[in-house]
Amino acid sequence: MILEILIKSFWAGIAAIGFAVLFNVPRRVLFSIWTLGAVGGLIKFTAMYFDSGIVFASFLGATIIGIISIQMAHMRNSPPLVFSIPSVIPMVPGFFAYKMMLGLIALANIEKTDVYMQTLIETVNNGAKMTFVLIALGIGVALPMLIMRKESIKKSPFNKKKKVTV
Amino acid sequence: MKTKTLSEDARSAGTILLETGAMLMSSGASTHRTRLTLERMARGLGYGLELLITQRALMLTIFEQDQPYFLSRLKRISPHGVNFRIVSGISHLSWKVLEENWTIAQIADELKRLKSLPHYPRLLVLGLVGLAGAAFCRIFGGGYTEMAIAFIATITGLFVRQETLRIKFNPYLCVFFAAFAASLVAGLAEHFHIGADPDKAFATSVLFLVPGVPLINSVTDLMDGNIQNGIVRAVNGLMISFSIAMGLFAVKMILNF
Repeated sequence: MILEILIKSFWAGIAAIGFAVLFNVPRRVLFSIWTLGAVGGLIKFTAMYFDSGIVFASFLGATIIGIISIQMAHMRNSPPLVFSIPSVIPMVPGFFAYKMMLGLIALANIEKTDVYMQTLIETVNNGAKMTFVLIALGIGVALPMLIMRKESIKKSPFNKKKKVTV
Repeated sequence: MKTKTLSEDARSAGTILLETGAMLMSSGASTHRTRLTLERMARGLGYGLELLITQRALMLTIFEQDQPYFLSRLKRISPHGVNFRIVSGISHLSWKVLEENWTIAQIADELKRLKSLPHYPRLLVLGLVGLAGAAFCRIFGGGYTEMAIAFIATITGLFVRQETLRIKFNPYLCVFFAAFAASLVAGLAEHFHIGADPDKAFATSVLFLVPGVPLINSVTDLMDGNIQNGIVRAVNGLMISFSIAMGLFAVKMILNF
C-alpha cells in the first residue's frame, strides 16, 4: 500500500511537469515543480488512505503545496503561482467531472423511475464531489498566499534596503 | 498664455505600464498580482497610479505629486494563453525598477526580450504532456496498456489543439476539437476492446484540457475581493469544461457505447 502511494505520487509529479511545460515555466523551476507535485500527491493519497475523504485530502495537499511554493518562490526567484498552479492541477477531479457528465447525459434518456433515481443519486454525488474538490483546491492554494502575503512583504529583505517615497 | 502639458516622460511611462499590465493579465497572473506589480513599478518611476483591471481591458491614470495634470489611458488585453515565463520575468523587472531605478527605455528593452523568450520545443511539449496524460491514467488506476492509450490520445488532442489555435479558431471550439480528437482515439481503443479497463483511458485522455489556471485564479480573485474578475474567470473556466464535455459527448454518440 505504501509502495502504491509512492508510485502514485511519482506520477502526480510527472503530470505536474506536463502542465508546467504547457504553461512555459522557466527552465530552472521544473524540478521544483516535480517535487511539489509529488509532495502534494503524497499528502493527498496518504490522507485518503486514512479515510479522510477526497475533499479534505485535496484541501490538505493544496494547502501544503501553497505553503511550500511561497518558500520555493524565495529560493528560486519566481512568483509563488508559477510553482503552485502546475503542481495542484494533477489533483483536479477530472474523473468525477467525467462521471457526472455521463450521468447527466444518461438522465436525458432514462424513462424508468427506479433507474432514474439511482442515476440521479450517483450524478449528484459525483457532481458534489467535483465541485467541492475544486473549491478546496482553489482555497487551499490561495489561502497561504493570502495569509502570508503581507507578512512576507514586510519581512522580505527588499523592503529593508531603502524606503521608497512616491 | 502659457499652456502646461504633461511631460513626455509621463506619457511613455503610462504606455509602458499599460503594456506590462496587459502582458501580465494575458499570461495568467491574478488581478491582485497585476495591481501590485504595476503599483510597484509606478512607485519606482516616481508616479502615483490608479488602476481599473478587467479581464479584457486595462485602464490607468498616472499622476505626479503637486501637479494638476494627469494621464489616463485605456488598453485592450488580447488573450494569448498562459505563459509563466513572462509572469516570472515581469516580477523580477518590477523589483529592478524599484531598486535599481531602471529607466523607461530599459524597461521597454526588457519587455521586448521577455516577449521573444522561446517556448519549449514543440516535440518536448507534446511528449511531456502525453506523459502527463499517462500519469493521470496511472493515478486513476489504469494499467500499462491504458497508460499507452492515454499517452497517444493526449498527444493527438494536444496536436489538434495547437493546430486549430494556429489557424485562429474560436478558443472554445479549439478545446472542443482537441477533446473530440483525444477521446476519439481513446474511444476507438475502447471500441476494439484494447486493454482491460479502457474506460479509464477514455476519462483521462482529456484531462490535459482542464482549465486549471482560470479556475484557480478565479478563486484567488474572489478571495482577494476582485469579485467581477473572479466571476468572469469562473464562467470562462466553465465554458472550457463545457466544451470538453461536448467533445466527449460527440464521441460517445458516434461510437455509441
